[in-house]
Amino acid sequence: MSKRIVVTGIGVISSIGIGRDDFWNSLIAGRSGISEITSFDTSDYPTHYGGEVKGFKAQDFLGAKADKMGRASALAVACARLAVQDSKIDLKLIAAEKKGIALGTTMGESQVLEKINAAWFKEGEGAIDASLISRLPANVLSAFVAEDLGLEGPNYVIPAACAAGNYAIGYACDLLKLGRAELMLSGGVDAFSKIAFTGFNRLLAVAPLKCQPFDKNRKGMLVGEGACIVALETLEHALARKADIYAEILGYGLSCDAHHMTAPHSEGIKEAIEKALKVCGLSAQDIDYFNAHGTGTPANDREECLAIKKVFGERAHQLPVSSIKSMLGHTMGAASAIEAACCCLSVKHDIIPPTINFETPDPECDIDCVPNVCRRTPVNIAINSASAFGGNNAALVLKKFVQE
Amino acid sequence: MAAKVIVITGVGVICSNGTGKDAFSSAITEGVSGIKPITIFDTSAYTAKTAGEVANFDPQQFLGAKGLRTLDRTTRLATSAAKLALDDARLEVSEENCRDIGVVLGSTLGSVKSVCDFDKDALKDGPRYVNPAFFANTVINSPASQISIKFNIRGFNSTISTGFSAGVDALGYAVDMLRAGRAKIALAGGAEEFCLETFLGFYKSGLLAGRAGSPEISCPFDRRRNGVVLGEAAAILVLEGLDSALERKAAIYGRISGYGTGFAPSGSRSLRRAMQGAIGEAGIQAADINYISAAGNSSLEQDAAEAEAINEVFAQDAQNVLVSSIKSMTGECYSASGALQTAAALGAIDKQMAPPMINYAQLDPACRLNYVVNKAKSCKIDNVLINTAGCGWASSSLVISKFKR
Repeated sequence: MSKRIVVTGIGVISSIGIGRDDFWNSLIAGRSGISEITSFDTSDYPTHYGGEVKGFKAQDFLGAKADKMGRASALAVACARLAVQDSKIDLKLIAAEKKGIALGTTMGESQVLEKINAAWFKEGEGAIDASLISRLPANVLSAFVAEDLGLEGPNYVIPAACAAGNYAIGYACDLLKLGRAELMLSGGVDAFSKIAFTGFNRLLAVAPLKCQPFDKNRKGMLVGEGACIVALETLEHALARKADIYAEILGYGLSCDAHHMTAPHSEGIKEAIEKALKVCGLSAQDIDYFNAHGTGTPANDREECLAIKKVFGERAHQLPVSSIKSMLGHTMGAASAIEAACCCLSVKHDIIPPTINFETPDPECDIDCVPNVCRRTPVNIAINSASAFGGNNAALVLKKFVQE
Repeated sequence: MAAKVIVITGVGVICSNGTGKDAFSSAITEGVSGIKPITIFDTSAYTAKTAGEVANFDPQQFLGAKGLRTLDRTTRLATSAAKLALDDARLEVSEENCRDIGVVLGSTLGSVKSVCDFDKDALKDGPRYVNPAFFANTVINSPASQISIKFNIRGFNSTISTGFSAGVDALGYAVDMLRAGRAKIALAGGAEEFCLETFLGFYKSGLLAGRAGSPEISCPFDRRRNGVVLGEAAAILVLEGLDSALERKAAIYGRISGYGTGFAPSGSRSLRRAMQGAIGEAGIQAADINYISAAGNSSLEQDAAEAEAINEVFAQDAQNVLVSSIKSMTGECYSASGALQTAAALGAIDKQMAPPMINYAQLDPACRLNYVVNKAKSCKIDNVLINTAGCGWASSSLVISKFKR
């Protein structure tokens, strides 16, 4: 029989809280992390709000080490430390080559590139600070974490854009099942990206003030940033060290729309969900909570609700479906990892976080989006759906762990 | 239960020294270099002036005229190579099988020019005036996604960004996906375009050959080596389970019999573990490897670290196994390298000829190995070890074996 994989540590750095407890308390309180953007001057843009992580000083976490890496890497390293701390795992007890990391990202070290580019554009290529170059390629994200924590096993960056967290966590589970590692840290990270902000604004996909998934008057997404890394191990391994278990990861499904680079499509979303259910031997009836991609753009929420209706049929109207992007904005490559952490805590505590900013029902989104207030209800199995540029979809299934 | 046998049934290559499986394989066997003076930008300000560019690349030849306008060069290379691979495998994507086929591409800097161009347009004209059609190219998974969009491949779509080892990691990922039953067939490989952005990154980091009067030459493991010469390429392979290949009556070029990977902050440890992992998974001994397609890219420390790792892993057999680096001909194609080396290895298995390492002239005592010097060598090749390594950091290896029924 296939090995079972469990989550035993959660590290989150987000606009609504740093660390598992702060994050979760904000989620169930329905607190928004959206504020006026300070990373760069937005006066040339039509919108000015986003989900920046406030109060994160890389130096506080990493000391002088922080000076050698970009913001995304620093977020990843700090977050990995939080996950390890939370898991109470003694890293020394696992052979270096049996500890690995798989991280998702959308933009990689976007801020580093923006810095290089700005100098190049303004003063010519002679002005490029050569020391920044080695901090740029996307693979530095997992490399810095591995270096920091002495992980010498599998080391991957999977840049599946806005579904990257799910892609990375899913593959990390595969690697544990294959016995290539005993501990995998996995999740996603993105620092606030001017390039992403520019692009989404040009796609006219950005809301002016607030993100309102599934609302009739939703005006778009908000760019955010953050990191989430979870500690994953086999159930056997976790039980042997008497670890606290947040949730079991039952499996995942991947699909590709093969339709359009930026326009989501309900068929692809549906296929990823159905594959995930099939892999886990579940039926749609078994799902208690659907953590939506729910970006708040007219197209995403429409297509996602269509997919939900295709999979869940009549039950689509009763199934709790919430989007925490209403609070965090869209944290890009970190989003589905943060949402996976939300699912872990949801099944752990039997609480479903709300979709905040919900005002007006939309006939196109006639689902139960858990409006504005969290809901206390038994949550045995949650599904975490994510879609990305390129039509890359991934759905991850998480289950409450009950000691037998 | 024995792991499902994964075979390679299609090869699509676009490289500076040859386009198409056969042309590339012939060029590799004959020691033809694709490294020439750089044409896509003016090099007068730099000491490095050569690269392995794909000259006269015409994507229309592979993809038709429609839909090319917004695709960047990496995407054009990758999608064209995918077309070649599909054709070579005689694989037709249909409404019936499109959900059983997946795509995974190794690419790390493949989108860097698109990102820089998009950002520079915003700096120049203001963020309100950039062309939103080019925004989609700024995500690293866009080349892989465009392959799926072009050919309607819907099973899965992934991108692996692990730098130098991404090509091999993508193949390893594909094997895992096929074994897990997530698809029946996978298009897997790597793609990187050559551009000023990537060139400057390597150049300003002091990694390119030709500094301070040294010869600008890609001569892996040679005492005169002084840095990398960059190349560009796309190499896409068609992978499937043996059952699927037999059912399709596909030509089988070889078998992926082992994959290994490792990370270490410096030195030869990660590559040593990668090689040991791949050989172990293949269920063979180091002595069963007939030829090593080395990661060697003419850089001072990395080539020495690789030679050291090979000597450690192969011990008393180290001087028997043939070693060469095709980067002497193609340049360092970064995340495309591993897939490109695999394509070359399949040619080597087919021809039973170990590819040569050109430009090799002077022994470096730190890199003593049994190189295939300048001319291909006819020999029995059952198992090839593919190495990819990145300046310490992550390394990955693959064992490709001759397919025997």
